Amino acid sequence: MKIQSMFSAIGVVVLFFAVANPAHAGTVSGKASFSGTAPAVQEIDMNADPTCAGLHSETVTTEDVVVNANGTLKNVFVYVKQGLEGKTFEPPATSVKMDQNGCQYHPHVFGVQVNQPFEIINSDSTLHNVHGMPTQSKEFNLGMPIQGMKLTRKFDKPEVMVKFKCDVHPWMNAYAGVLPHPFFGVTNEEGVFEIKDLPAGQYVVEAWHEKFGVQTQNITIDEAGVQTADFAFAG
Amino acid sequence: MLILAGGLVTSHEAGLAVPDWPLSYGRFFPPMVGNIFWEHGHRMIAGTVGILTLILAVWVQFQEKRTWLKKLAWISLGAVLIQALLGGLTVLYLLPPAISIFHACLGQTFFCLTFLIAEFLNPVTAPVMASPPESGSDRLKPLAIMTAGFLYLQLVLGALLRHTGQGLSFHILNAFFVGVHVLLLTMKTLRLFGGDKTLPRTAVMLGGLTTVQFFLGIGAFVFTKALPRGGYAPEAGEIILTASHQTLGALILATSLFLAVKAPK
Repeated sequence: MKIQSMFSAIGVVVLFFAVANPAHAGTVSGKASFSGTAPAVQEIDMNADPTCAGLHSETVTTEDVVVNANGTLKNVFVYVKQGLEGKTFEPPATSVKMDQNGCQYHPHVFGVQVNQPFEIINSDSTLHNVHGMPTQSKEFNLGMPIQGMKLTRKFDKPEVMVKFKCDVHPWMNAYAGVLPHPFFGVTNEEGVFEIKDLPAGQYVVEAWHEKFGVQTQNITIDEAGVQTADFAFAG
Repeated sequence: MLILAGGLVTSHEAGLAVPDWPLSYGRFFPPMVGNIFWEHGHRMIAGTVGILTLILAVWVQFQEKRTWLKKLAWISLGAVLIQALLGGLTVLYLLPPAISIFHACLGQTFFCLTFLIAEFLNPVTAPVMASPPESGSDRLKPLAIMTAGFLYLQLVLGALLRHTGQGLSFHILNAFFVGVHVLLLTMKTLRLFGGDKTLPRTAVMLGGLTTVQFFLGIGAFVFTKALPRGGYAPEAGEIILTASHQTLGALILATSLFLAVKAPK
């Protein structure tokens, strides 16, 4: 009995260090550059719903291709595609939020873990329907006619990417990468992403863009813990 | 009008703009904003047509002597009720292709039924039954039935294409058969019934509408298949061409059925 307790204690200590010690986990960061000619920015005409139109004093444009001022791409979803097989990761209890605000989805591209709560909010004073179009999990179409209304859903299968759209306002769409692990990121206004706490190992990392498709890279995380993965998209 | 309204729902990709049924966002009349205008507008027109069909069935029941016509009126009421149910199922089950295709075909079948009922009740066209052709080999009815059959098949193939994106080559192939049959039917009707005006006029109308439909079909193909979509929503050209192609198809089918019914054996 004593020996069994000792082994249990050792196991707990080993696991603690494996999880908590940053020397055994690394960060992947990088940017998504863009070259070539970007498609012309398209203005969104919200006049079909006067409430939507009244929410914006300035021109609103589509978000399918957003080229940042520094020549990088925003809204590129980067995630670990291979290398984590056989490992399980508990979904966080905190929810990922997607807000319908100004008759647009915020954020436009995001990641969520399988079975992690996914909260949909309607901040607008008009009605929306949220049409989630996964092919692996159950498709849904939810009416959200009341301002401040919140609904929570979960995806039970991984899928890159799941599209969302509002059938009332055809300019509204968003994409979510649903993954069985937490190792994903989305490029920001600087075109930069970061994936933290990735255990040491060899991985295939994929970058997905709504218009320009996918690219992959092989990376190795060693105990030094930092790896750069830059992606180059062309128009 | 209901066929056109339904076509405009599909063309605007507004079929799921109202996620509940039979109510719309839990009410009888939601704000008609965005694509709700098309979807809820379609529901309102459908409701009106349903009530009118009920009135028609009751009216025919009490005013008509022809038993088969009474039955036809009740069948049309049944068809519009099933059609409403299918419309609801397409919403609740998120546009399953099989139900959407069934909804599209039954809608035009219902239109043809009411079209024929109207013609049978029409004092001008109801008695039309031209003189039998002189030669047995010149029988018009089989050709007219065949033409209507190819047109109905074209409806099914068109609905399949519209709701799944599949079957374009079959739709084009069948368009050829439809074209040939309409041409033969028009020429034969003109040859056989030159003296009687109703059938030849209908046949010429069928030929003319089919010609227009051919060009609308090419236009719809160009906008939906050949050209990349420029924006986040269907463009006006695509909406106009696809919805008119669908609506004119219903009119052509009804016209061919009229000829098939009225042509002598």
